[in-house]
This record gives sequence, structure tokens and C-alpha cells, in this order.
Amino acid sequence: DSHIQYERVGADVTMKCGSMDWDAAVTWTANGTDIDESHLNGSYLILKNVNLMQSGQYSCYEGSSWHLKYQTSLRVGTSPREPVLMCRSNNYPKGFYCSWHLPTPTFIPNIFNISVIHGTKEMVCEKDAVPKNRCHIRYLQLFSTVKYKVTLTVTNALGKNFTTLTFDEFAIVKPDPPESVVAKPVPNNPRRLEVSWQNPSSWPDPESFPLKFFLRYRPLILDQWQHVELSDGTSHTITDAYAGKEYIIQVAAKDNDIGTWSDWSVAVHATPWTEEPKHLTTEAQITETTSASTSSFMAPPTTKICDKGAVVGSGAVAVCWTAGLVVAAYSVLFI
Amino acid sequence: SPTGDSWGIFTFLCAALCNLPALPALNCSEELGAGQSIQQTYDLTRYLEHQLRTLAGTYLNYLGPPFNEPDFNPPRLARAERVPSATVDLDLWRGLTDNARLTANYRAYSRLLCYLRVLDGQVGTSELRHRLAHFCASLQGLVLSIGGVMSSLGYPLPAGPAGPPVGPTEAPPAPNDFLKKMDDFWLLKELQTWLWRSAKDFNRLKKKVPPAVVTLRLEARGF
Repeated sequence: DSHIQYERVGADVTMKCGSMDWDAAVTWTANGTDIDESHLNGSYLILKNVNLMQSGQYSCYEGSSWHLKYQTSLRVGTSPREPVLMCRSNNYPKGFYCSWHLPTPTFIPNIFNISVIHGTKEMVCEKDAVPKNRCHIRYLQLFSTVKYKVTLTVTNALGKNFTTLTFDEFAIVKPDPPESVVAKPVPNNPRRLEVSWQNPSSWPDPESFPLKFFLRYRPLILDQWQHVELSDGTSHTITDAYAGKEYIIQVAAKDNDIGTWSDWSVAVHATPWTEEPKHLTTEAQITETTSASTSSFMAPPTTKICDKGAVVGSGAVAVCWTAGLVVAAYSVLFI
Repeated sequence: SPTGDSWGIFTFLCAALCNLPALPALNCSEELGAGQSIQQTYDLTRYLEHQLRTLAGTYLNYLGPPFNEPDFNPPRLARAERVPSATVDLDLWRGLTDNARLTANYRAYSRLLCYLRVLDGQVGTSELRHRLAHFCASLQGLVLSIGGVMSSLGYPLPAGPAGPPVGPTEAPPAPNDFLKKMDDFWLLKELQTWLWRSAKDFNRLKKKVPPAVVTLRLEARGF
């Protein structure tokens, strides 16, 4: 006869060859491979300090006849550690969902059981088909003063464990990130970027439960983000972009009054509009081009005069000349 | 008996304190009706919500454990619920008419204000009295603001004194100190929940009643 046997990692396992006597002559195999007699105590198979690698099919054969007397599938594993549980309402006011997982694997099958208690009432959390470790609940009442208590129990052949979450209806509200974030340059505006997005599709009622948004943006070459909080609308124009630099932009959402901010949306990249370079046919036009590109490379807020690394252009040169003259004048005075 | 005496004092206090703002409220709402908008009322609920966080923290610490423990989640006792609950069926809440929505808010805050004022009279430390007094003043402002919105929309203010019903329907005062503290705990909880709810109520009203409509009605009434 064959069955499944679950044992703890590190345990000492004794396997009996079915109903055979202790002193019967038997041969044990593990996954078809003969097991050395040193592991036997009479007809019993002794496995000391089992590890995960020793999981497998163990069979016991009568010595002379090679009849299969006993078979077992050994599964080495652990009892479950305290599970990780998370509950969140990304579709307020419809309801919320809870999802869970084990912090470390047990290597054997586990059964999860979830219970939701609201005051004195037990509510049913409907398990999702996909993903498996998730269930959802519909709110029957809104604006409740009584907390929800969610208990998750995990059980396997070697033990059980549980965890509990207690929360107010309002505390777990966290929308999904905004969708369809689009950033576009604005023609003839070298410092602007137009950003637009949509409410997350999981948010059922933005009319009665409006979202507010948080926009962050930075040029790829810098680490510092700039932030804008918007209490209305699903678009915003950035007006202080560095000309010609590629930007990375993200948006997050939050219910206007309750809960926490969503994760950041997928990042979008955009570069502000720049003037088309003209064809370089004459010298005059070449100078024009270089001076135009110089002004776009100068950081708008601070202009450094006579910076050693500055690109030479007509504007910068004029300033340098002036400064040079002043220095020359002073040095003449001091001779 | 002490219970009988305190019952009498309680009802007297409530009746006295709650009838006081009723008369000026009628006069004030006419003046405020012109200025008040739904947006301002919404902003007031948010402001009060912030104020309440500090007040509740201080008050629950004054009550002491277990009331000031964050996980404290007691069952609702079977005493008659004198404090109006913000909890409501989702579809019912959605389907409320503007008048019903405003009335529910007006009634709730009027009664909550009344209970808070009684609390004010009983509380021990001067810091708490000061905070409570400040909060009550702001809450009074909210009641007036809601009244103003209702008047400007042409809805009648809910009838009767802005206080709890006096008589056999009223819950008897708490028989012991612990239950009295429980009553206070639930009062603060209901207040907190109402302020959260009101933000949503006024969001809904904002969308449905643009400010232009409010001014039109005021002109029609000769303000």
C-alpha cells in the first residue's frame, strides 16, 4: 500500500516495511535506487536528520521474492511561519481585497483559511480564481465606526500559524496608480511639457469620491525630483523644464480625503520642443546656429560668467570680454 | 438616589446648553447664507477632522487605558444609541436627496455638539476644557454653515431644538465610571466618522449644485 508521509526538516524518520516483522529480510529503495544496509535497523529504514533532498518515493521489497510490500512518498518540509497578510481597498466604496503569502516556503502543501469579522458579524471573503492567494469583500455599509478584523490561518501536515489585521474602513483605502500617462512637448515652447492621465479603472466612482494627484518629474541627468500636488483635473503643464533635456515623469493618486497614496504610475519619458536646426550653408548661419544652441544649454536659473567649461558662443563671449576688460582695467590700476 | 439626581442634571444641562444656540442660529444663518457655500462647508469639515485628531488623542489619554490603545476595538454595547451614527447602506447613501443629505448632517452635528458641550462641563483638566471649548466653537460654526447652505438652497432647517430628545426614549446615564468612559469613546468615534462622511457628502453636493445656482436663489430671495 502507498501513501504520503510528511516529515519535518531535521527530524529522524523511521519507516516500517508495512506489516513485515522487524527481523524480516527486506530491501529498501529511494526513487528506484537501492539503499545501503547501513541505514537499516532490521527491516526498518532509519533516516536521521532528514533534509529536503531526501523527499521522494521509498519502496520496500521482500528479500527473496521481490514483492513490493510497502511504498510511501516522503515529503520533507516545515510547519508554516507566520503568514504575511495585506488588505487594501482600491475600489472604494465598493469593498476591499486581502492578499497573503508565506514569508518562507514550507515545501509541502498548505491550506489557507481567511475570516473577516465586522463587529459581531462574520463576513464572507470570496476567493479569487486568479491570483489564488487573494479574496475580496463587498461593503454592506459605508462609514462604519466598527473596525474590521481579518484573520488568516495557514495549516499544513506539520503545523499551523495565523496572523490578524484590524483596521478601520478608511485606513486601507489606496487606489491603483493613474493609467495612460502621456507626456507631450508643447510646440514653440522649449520649457513646457504637457502631461495627462486617467483615473485608475478600478476606482468605481470618481464623481462622488474624487481623486487628487501627485506628479513628480526630473530630467534624466538629475537625481532630484520636482513635485506638484493637484487637487483637480487629470492634466498638468510643466512650465520649468530644462530645454532640450529628456524628462522622466510619474503620477500617483489618492482619495481626496482618506487613505494613502497609490504607487507611482508607469514612468513616461518626454523631451520639450526644441527649434529645428537650419541647414548650415553660410558662415553667418553657422554662427547663428551655435549661438542658438549655446543659449539652450545654459541652465536658466543661474548663469555662470566665464565658467571654464562654458561653450563659446556670442552671448557668453561678450560677457567674458567685459569681465576680462574689467580685470585688465583693475590690474592696470595696481601696476 | 445619585443616579436619579444626575439624570435630572444631565437632561437639564443638555436642554439648557442646546437651546442656547438655537435662537441666534436662526438669525445668523440669514447673514451667513449669503457667504456660505458648499465648498466652505467642505473645508470646515476637513479642518474639524484635523482638530479632532489632536483633541481625541488628548482626551483618550485622559481616559487612560484601554481607551488610548490604538487596537482598542470594543463591541458596541446594547445601550440605546443616543449618538447619531454616520453608518449607512451604500445604495441608500447614494440615493439621498440633497435636502435629506444636508438634514442628516445638520441633525447629526447639532446633537454631537450638544453632547460635546455636556462633556466640556464635566472634564477634569484645564487643557482639555480649553481644547474642547475651541472644538465646540468650530463645530458650532459647521452647524451654522450647513444651516446656511440649506437656507440658501431654499430648504427649511430641521425643526425642534438642536438637542437630544428628552424623555423615556433617552438612554439613562452610565451607571459606572467605565461605562461613562465608553460613552465618551463612542462619542468621539462617531464624531470622527461623521466628519469623514461629511467630506464625501459635500463632495457629492459640490458636483450636483454648482455655486451659480446658490447665488441665483439668494438673489430671488432678495438678499
